[in-house]
Amino acid sequence: MSVNLTAGAIEALFNECPVENPVLQVMNIREYPPGKQGHTRYRLKLSDGVRSLSCFLLASQLNHLKEAELLEPNCVCMLKKTISSYLAKKRVLVVLDMDVLQTAADVGGKIGNPAQLTDKTADQQEAHRSTSSSDEIPGPSGYDTRSSCENSGIKSSLMKSSWKGSPVKGPGMPPPMKASPVKGPGMPPPMQASPVKAFGMASPVKRSGMPSPMPASPSPGPSQSPTKLTPIDDLNPYVSNWTVRARVTNKSDVCNWSNSRGEGKLFSFEVMDESGEIRITAFNSEVDKFFSLVEQNKVYLISKCSVKLPIKRFTSLKNDYEITLGANSRIVPCDDDHDVPTVHYDFVPISQLEAKDPESIINVIGVCEEAGEVSLITTKAGKPLFKRALELTDASGKTVTLTLWGDKAQRFDASCHPVVAVKGARVSAFGGRSLSAPFSSTLMVNPDIPEAFELRAWYNQVGHGLCSQSLTEVRSPNGEFRTNWKSLSDVKTEQLGHDGKAYYFSSVATVVYACKENALYRACPAGSCYKKVQERDDGRYHCDKCGKDYPVFKYRFMLSVNLADFGDNMWATCFQETAETLLGLNAEQLGHLKDTDEDAFNEVFQKVYFSSHIFRNRVKLEMYNDECRMRVTVMDVLPLDHRQYSRRLLNSVRALARDN
Amino acid sequence: MSTILDAPRPRVNFSLLSRFICKPVCFVGRVEKVHSTGKTFTLADGEGQCVSVELNDALEEELSGIVEVIGIVSNKGAIIASTFTMLREERGILFDLELYNEAVNVIHDFPQHYPFDAAESG
Repeated sequence: MSVNLTAGAIEALFNECPVENPVLQVMNIREYPPGKQGHTRYRLKLSDGVRSLSCFLLASQLNHLKEAELLEPNCVCMLKKTISSYLAKKRVLVVLDMDVLQTAADVGGKIGNPAQLTDKTADQQEAHRSTSSSDEIPGPSGYDTRSSCENSGIKSSLMKSSWKGSPVKGPGMPPPMKASPVKGPGMPPPMQASPVKAFGMASPVKRSGMPSPMPASPSPGPSQSPTKLTPIDDLNPYVSNWTVRARVTNKSDVCNWSNSRGEGKLFSFEVMDESGEIRITAFNSEVDKFFSLVEQNKVYLISKCSVKLPIKRFTSLKNDYEITLGANSRIVPCDDDHDVPTVHYDFVPISQLEAKDPESIINVIGVCEEAGEVSLITTKAGKPLFKRALELTDASGKTVTLTLWGDKAQRFDASCHPVVAVKGARVSAFGGRSLSAPFSSTLMVNPDIPEAFELRAWYNQVGHGLCSQSLTEVRSPNGEFRTNWKSLSDVKTEQLGHDGKAYYFSSVATVVYACKENALYRACPAGSCYKKVQERDDGRYHCDKCGKDYPVFKYRFMLSVNLADFGDNMWATCFQETAETLLGLNAEQLGHLKDTDEDAFNEVFQKVYFSSHIFRNRVKLEMYNDECRMRVTVMDVLPLDHRQYSRRLLNSVRALARDN
Repeated sequence: MSTILDAPRPRVNFSLLSRFICKPVCFVGRVEKVHSTGKTFTLADGEGQCVSVELNDALEEELSGIVEVIGIVSNKGAIIASTFTMLREERGILFDLELYNEAVNVIHDFPQHYPFDAAESG
């Protein structure tokens, strides 16, 4: 019952020469449990009796063969379909279809004495396993030229380098890593103790199940390109000489501090690769060196830093450790980034922010519709701090106010309605729901991510015209915030203000009448006492609130106006400031005209009739002498921009049409 | 002239002219060129398309800026004007022709909400 192996098949497969249904013996099977994605992959070392090759990868649809124990070391199989491929520049032969001809039990043992045919991945592992270790040395060097050393350095330098003298055990370099404390993802952990400079280390799990076998091989000299990379998940304080290739997911601003021990500054950023994430902090001089180099979303090779226990937890990262940059640390931009996963942000749609708890940290993306001016406030500690409020809107149809602080506030360029994404924004209950971008968050403007492109497309086609409801209450005196537009008929139909709470809204309306008779009243001249005064017989004015008499009074406005729009009309009261804006002169001046020039006084009101403005109103159910009435107060009068109004109307029409 | 002002005259832009051949319309556009005779000029609508306007009497004054013309559409797609008005810049507010064009499109996209026929019969 002996089966003949197809001699020369291994060499042929390796050289990509066609070979039909070769019969091969399985020498070894290695399992590679998933990194963070997918299922287990099995890597096979197959032999044709003369040569063996370990870069065979079992297609996952054939995993059952191994799991059913049909495929095991020493069994004989026939490859019916293979495909040659490259994973991370390493040669791989994927077995798409195979039959097990004879089980291991039936075969009995190893057929022939195959010599390892190394592929580019410098298979020391296999070498170490194979009984004929002497074959390894001639093996690799013999096939040196054939293996197109794309990963040039690794293999060839192995042979030719001076590492032979390294204290690492021989060129085969069986991994002493077994003893290392690093947790690998099922693979033999990297060889930490290697004296090899700077690089070296476990090749990362680049694809699920197809990592290059244990490296331990020293990397080539520092001047050559390929480096052995460590998965972030494998980092711990006992690892030395590692290099990580990762993408920056979150970069903070520079934070300056001064305390009793002196001054300092730091910035931190978070990076991720396929295995995990970790936070990196730079202090003082390293801030100067690296702050401008490190950019959000770009991939870098990072090495020679210290891995420590985290000092303070500012992040939600799951890593037990964090990295601190030192004077010797190196961060180099890396072009080969297709293996490093791109950041997934999990943005929360604005409409769902109401459901989020205040103080929770979320990621958000939206189009900046409006941005307030940068303002300078003083913190409780007495320090000046810049702040800026933005209106963000997204496809969920809602808007929210995002507050930027410090550098972010100053640097932000609001032109052209940029797409703004924030990683690590804090939800606040201020004004209902609003967002803050704390120091630790990352602000990205027009980021290069698919969510941003989608949002841009949505905004250009649809969003720019929508007047979505803001989750943050309209409060700002200078009209920074998104306005809550209502028509006057809405006030009745929607019963605004009926619940007893003050309701704020804005309307475009025309003044159809203003009560000039009682526009002014005589008020107490004292400070902020605005009570109406009674005239005494002696010509003095008595204030009930102050309990005093005054020789003079001050005119103040309490102007009743009737506002109308296409749907309805309503009475509203304008107090001092709004009346002054509407009429164009102050109370004293009008008072003077009233007393002296009746025509001029009337003229003031004539001018205001049938003028249209934007009125920001407050409607509230109020008790007045045991009577419950809806009282509307004008909070603000703004000039009407017809174009803006037209645009808003046009967009409302289109939106209505779409929704029906 | 009195007859035309009695009938409803829908606002149109260049693309809608073909629907209103021999009918009265109201066209608003920016003056592009004035013929030397002063009896005809071209107006560009919000989409940049030009329409020729013919007058019965030659122009007496300089024509520029935004003009509103009421007239009948000829078979060739020109407008035989009965009357026209120059919309002067008011308080520095410029007439937004593109926005106007959008509004014109809305009127014609939703005839059920902007019934000209009803006005005609009524």
